[in-house]
Amino acid sequence: MATPKTPAPRRALVLGGNRIPFARAGGRYAHASNQDMLTAALDGLVARYGLQGERIGEVAAGAVLKHSRDFNLTREAVLGSALSAQTPAYDVQQACATGLETVVSLSNKIRLGQLESAISGGVDTTSDAPIAVSDRLRRALLDLSRAKNMQQKLAAAAKIRPKDLAPSTPRTSEPRTGLSMGEHQALTTAQWGITREAQDEVAYASHHRLAAAWEAGFFDDLVTPYRGQTIDGNLRADTSLEKLATLRPTFGLGLDTPATMTAGNSTPLTDGASTVLLGSDEWAAEHDLTPLAVVVDAEAGAVDFVHGEDGLLMAPAFAVPRLLARNGLTLDDFAYVEIHEAFASTVLTTLAAWESDEFGRARLGLPGAFGTVDRERLNVHGSSLAAGHPFAATGGRIVATISKELHLRKQRDGGTPRALVSVCAAGGLGLTAILEAA
Amino acid sequence: MTDGAAAQVVDIERMPTMGSLYPVAGVRAATSRLRPASRELPATTLRTAGVVATAEHLTAYQHLLGESASDRLPAGFVHVLAFPLAFSVMVRPDFPLPVLGMVHVANRVTQHAPVTLGTPLDVTARARDLRAHRSGTQVDLVASVHADGELVWEGVSTYLAKGVRIAGDAPDDERAPFVAPVPTGEWRLGPDTGRRYAAVSGDRNPIHLSALGAKAFGFPRAIAHGMYTAARALADVGAARGDAFTWAVDFQAPVLLPSTVSVRVAADGDGFAFAGWDRRSGRPHLTGTVGPA
Repeated sequence: MATPKTPAPRRALVLGGNRIPFARAGGRYAHASNQDMLTAALDGLVARYGLQGERIGEVAAGAVLKHSRDFNLTREAVLGSALSAQTPAYDVQQACATGLETVVSLSNKIRLGQLESAISGGVDTTSDAPIAVSDRLRRALLDLSRAKNMQQKLAAAAKIRPKDLAPSTPRTSEPRTGLSMGEHQALTTAQWGITREAQDEVAYASHHRLAAAWEAGFFDDLVTPYRGQTIDGNLRADTSLEKLATLRPTFGLGLDTPATMTAGNSTPLTDGASTVLLGSDEWAAEHDLTPLAVVVDAEAGAVDFVHGEDGLLMAPAFAVPRLLARNGLTLDDFAYVEIHEAFASTVLTTLAAWESDEFGRARLGLPGAFGTVDRERLNVHGSSLAAGHPFAATGGRIVATISKELHLRKQRDGGTPRALVSVCAAGGLGLTAILEAA
Repeated sequence: MTDGAAAQVVDIERMPTMGSLYPVAGVRAATSRLRPASRELPATTLRTAGVVATAEHLTAYQHLLGESASDRLPAGFVHVLAFPLAFSVMVRPDFPLPVLGMVHVANRVTQHAPVTLGTPLDVTARARDLRAHRSGTQVDLVASVHADGELVWEGVSTYLAKGVRIAGDAPDDERAPFVAPVPTGEWRLGPDTGRRYAAVSGDRNPIHLSALGAKAFGFPRAIAHGMYTAARALADVGAARGDAFTWAVDFQAPVLLPSTVSVRVAADGDGFAFAGWDRRSGRPHLTGTVGPA
């Protein structure tokens, strides 16, 4: 009788990443599909790390706006890439947390010994978004296809009305509230009393920090140009607080409080794709790859925004305290904090909740406020306001960027610097993770 | 006529269809002026036994209102099942108020126990509590639903016949002025909202179907069914309402279609409070509560 030898848990490493520059909707990727862009990002990763013909343990990726024909989007991208065709793949969809969730689930498989290597990814296009037919037309067409005789066919066809022919484009509003993400965040912004100036300062810092990183060549080994796009298309290196202050508010116009959210301090619709290479210590050594970071732990959260208990994008405010408590850490233990900038005010309302005594006591069950984030550690190379936010691709952008930064920091200063990653998502979801320098 | 009087029960073998009742209502509207109006409620309770909903009807209702498509009948759907019988009471020759043009001003439902698809339901309906109101006369239509002899659902729909005067003092019902709260969502109600609810509820009152029909009754455009908006609010409360609950709504002003209604559905005390109002003017359309039974 054989003795089972299930492997003991071990660490999962971030070994690298590659994305294509993010482009504004309707820009250079206007006619590129999700599959096109994901394949491009994947092929860039393959070229960068010498993975041609390699059988990767598993590839997981996803898109938020996905056509039903792309049910195997990731597998199709793998088949179109230079990876071995024997590389398995699966699709993930968790709204804007999709990309980070692929990192979390694949690294868990590596930790359990199920995988030696993995690639996580995400892609989204708002330019090439799927358009569906109306529900009435869809039902009529399905009834028509099931009809057995001419009479039934005519009956099904007779149900179609001219207005049913209008296409149904994907909407960014929450199905249960009818409010757009921006309108939801406007309510949260008002609830926490976040000022226009504070939001513009976050946007300003995002653009200038991202521009500085590009200027310094930080992204040279993380980004592969595509379709003539060589730098993130949304980046405005020359933006100023004065310019940002001239923009007219676009969300929260119907509220009693001043409208503070503009196109400048909100993330624009964006096209793009990202990938992250993950692996075990053994696999990294065999492939002569330098470990950048360890995926330590992750925690998802969700809030009841439907009944106004919390803001739509506030789930990370709850998930992070749980995550840190489990790991015996506080905010002060992190050299870097990455909070996805869905809106500048999303970052600020999250920080405000953590700094609030009342929120800490009443909602987090703590003796007082959860803590304060040093702004110098926050989104150090800019975030979504400057880079743009192709929904599912954002997690991969953040993980690859901060993993490289952790590695450089450790080389420079020693120790084991840590990063906290926080991504809010539609549906009141949030996903957070801890990375540390490998 | 007051509640609980020794009522005469009239069995109606099959649940009437609303399509068959509106013509009767129309005839009554045309002839009522010819008769001296009695101001007594009929002592009759109408009863239809063995009412069974179809899955197709239930699904259409759940999809339209945003309810989870479970095999449990939403409280508003039970109202739809019982409504033709209540309406039958109102179109009877001995009903003392003009049914067309009456305004649905309030609705109270108590769901005592869950009702499952396929369960035969015994429905009764009667009118009670004819009373003076400062702008006319109010009456309650009470519908009760029993399953296997057990009371599972009760609905009280309050209607106002404007300008119809009866003896008695109208009580003050001054409401506290409505102050629009922080919204939790909004309903974008298209021009076909009334027609779509009419298709699942059978309530094809002309005021809900077209501007032309609405104008005949003094509304500039078609108006949404009150029970459509109340049922949307109940759906927004979701599963948190539990198995047994009360669902109460006051209708303040009709929703002219198309319209975007700002809404708040939020925890309040041991239940939920909801409100829908005009986003621009802040004028309330409906307010209500969902709470423990």
